[in-house]
Amino acid sequence: MDATPAVRLDGVSKQYADSYAVHRLDLDIEAGHFFSLLGPSGCGKTTTLRMIGGFSDPSEGAVLLAGEDVTDLPPNKRNVNTVFQSYALFDHLSVADNVGFGLKRSGVAKAEIRQRVGEMLELVQLAGLAGRKPRTLSGGQRQRVALARALVNRPAVLLLDEPLAALDLKLRRQMQVELKQIQREVGITFVFVTHDQDEALTMSDRIAVMNQGRIEQCGTPEDIYEHPATGFVASFMGTSNLMTGTYRDGEVTLEKGPALAVGARSGIEDGTAVSVSVRPEKIWLSDFEPGMSKLSGVLRETVYSGPTTTYLIELAPGVTLSVLEQNTARARMEDRWTGGETVEFGWRPEHCLVLA
Amino acid sequence: MTLVSTPSTTAPAGTSAPVRNRRRSHRRPRVLIAVTGLFFALLYLPIAVVALFSFNSQKSLTVFDGFSLRWYRAFVHDDVLIASLGTSLRISLVAMAGSVLLGVALAVGLVRCRTRFGSLAGLIMLVPLITPEIVTGVASMLLFKGLGVPLSTGTVMLAEITFSISYVTVILRSRVAALNPEVEEAAMDLGATRWQAVRLVTLPALLPAVLASAVLIFALVFDDFVLAYFTTGVDPQPLSVRIYSAIRFGVQPTINAVGTLMLAGSIALIALALFIPRLFGRRGGLDILSGE
Repeated sequence: MDATPAVRLDGVSKQYADSYAVHRLDLDIEAGHFFSLLGPSGCGKTTTLRMIGGFSDPSEGAVLLAGEDVTDLPPNKRNVNTVFQSYALFDHLSVADNVGFGLKRSGVAKAEIRQRVGEMLELVQLAGLAGRKPRTLSGGQRQRVALARALVNRPAVLLLDEPLAALDLKLRRQMQVELKQIQREVGITFVFVTHDQDEALTMSDRIAVMNQGRIEQCGTPEDIYEHPATGFVASFMGTSNLMTGTYRDGEVTLEKGPALAVGARSGIEDGTAVSVSVRPEKIWLSDFEPGMSKLSGVLRETVYSGPTTTYLIELAPGVTLSVLEQNTARARMEDRWTGGETVEFGWRPEHCLVLA
Repeated sequence: MTLVSTPSTTAPAGTSAPVRNRRRSHRRPRVLIAVTGLFFALLYLPIAVVALFSFNSQKSLTVFDGFSLRWYRAFVHDDVLIASLGTSLRISLVAMAGSVLLGVALAVGLVRCRTRFGSLAGLIMLVPLITPEIVTGVASMLLFKGLGVPLSTGTVMLAEITFSISYVTVILRSRVAALNPEVEEAAMDLGATRWQAVRLVTLPALLPAVLASAVLIFALVFDDFVLAYFTTGVDPQPLSVRIYSAIRFGVQPTINAVGTLMLAGSIALIALALFIPRLFGRRGGLDILSGE
């Protein structure tokens, strides 16, 4: 980590009228990483990407690429390329001319352009379509052209603005895998903007979760999912059972309910009101281990969805937990509940997180 | 998965089509067809008469005596008319180039400039389209007189350019608005300067609409009489003005030949304007005019 980061944002803000789209962002993106900016629409992730690309000037702060301050440089002077959400292909040019556009601009010799375009089209599996016009291609193919057009310039950083958003689910899954493979192959730093948490989790080396112009948490996918730092991250990344209560001696007592065993967390004084989060799949319904906090509640609803079943259990008035269980052969053999009865459940204390 | 396993509830497309066809042939709207036919007859009959008598072998404008190219020959040998034709062509070409240049720039400016002044300018821009042409003509003449500019072919060109900018802008504005701003950004992202991005990406995207509006302006200016009449000098006058003067001294069948040639030329140009965008494989640049 002592190497110069590929991208560094130093106190970067973007202000529109009297509101901040991005607020005092500090961010380091390590070279060679697949880095995702994840957040709901309007969280400032696209604005951040546009400031790295040079399409939007920061109101304050500095953008550094490989240690060099590029804050005042226009897009054509930055060693980054962008894959736009709309692909933004040049409809009047052929696929090959689209891909070769950047090389031609930077004065690369014709023979080399032809060779590099050919290699790149090979990489994105479009070798046979070099002469076609973008309009005649499918959505997935157009996406690949946009990717090839950016990658062929061998930028230090590739920026991707929700490039898969327009594709249908199946193609999307396929492209996620391919994009990750291509990134590993070329070794270029990818900065990937998405609002899809599954996409971010499966593809990224690191994720920054953004909300209202700020970074809520930055870490590996596992970090972010297993140890969400804030209630926003916990609820944005998958489902979470969020509860509020009072902290005392390693336990959190709900307002109208029992005390819950929670994971250790330093720096919280007794008597503080806190939020706690526990993931549905971290709650056990049988085979309890010693040391687990065991609780009971009334089963309100059973939702069967193929490989898993979700149980909604009312722990206390107004506090209903969602519990996810795999439909393994064993679980299905048991005669499960129909609803209305009191059931026992529990979790390991470290899976019940006290949030900031 | 559900899509595959659920039986289709809608009938295949093939079974519904013949039903629709049968209904159409049964209820042929005879009255509408008759009215439409009458409309076109009234609209084109006078023109058809002109075209027919341009081939008359005699001087009569009422009795068709036999087919001949005599009046076309007379036109080709009429130096005054040929000189006027040359003037008209020059005026049309200059007005086309000038108004397309300014009109495209105005369209881009109006779309990109999102200030109150911009939307005001967008409204003012439409005024020439609804102003009676005679008003524009008289106003242009008074302006030139007031400024002490002698009327000439040059003043006709200026007046025609002014008058035509709005047409170009109206046609181009929706095209410019439909452009994806990310495309220009993509060009800059790939190393182009702002001007190179416009030249290499934006203008080619607008090219079909630009060509279509250029052809349209050429045809409009070439046919224009009112504006030319008020702003032209003495010699050589544009063809339309020349024809008008000639008719005052008695109608020569040569005029029929000229009129027919102008009609044929205009039809060819308009057809070209509608056809150009299709060459580029996209919807026509004249959607507004053709009502598509």
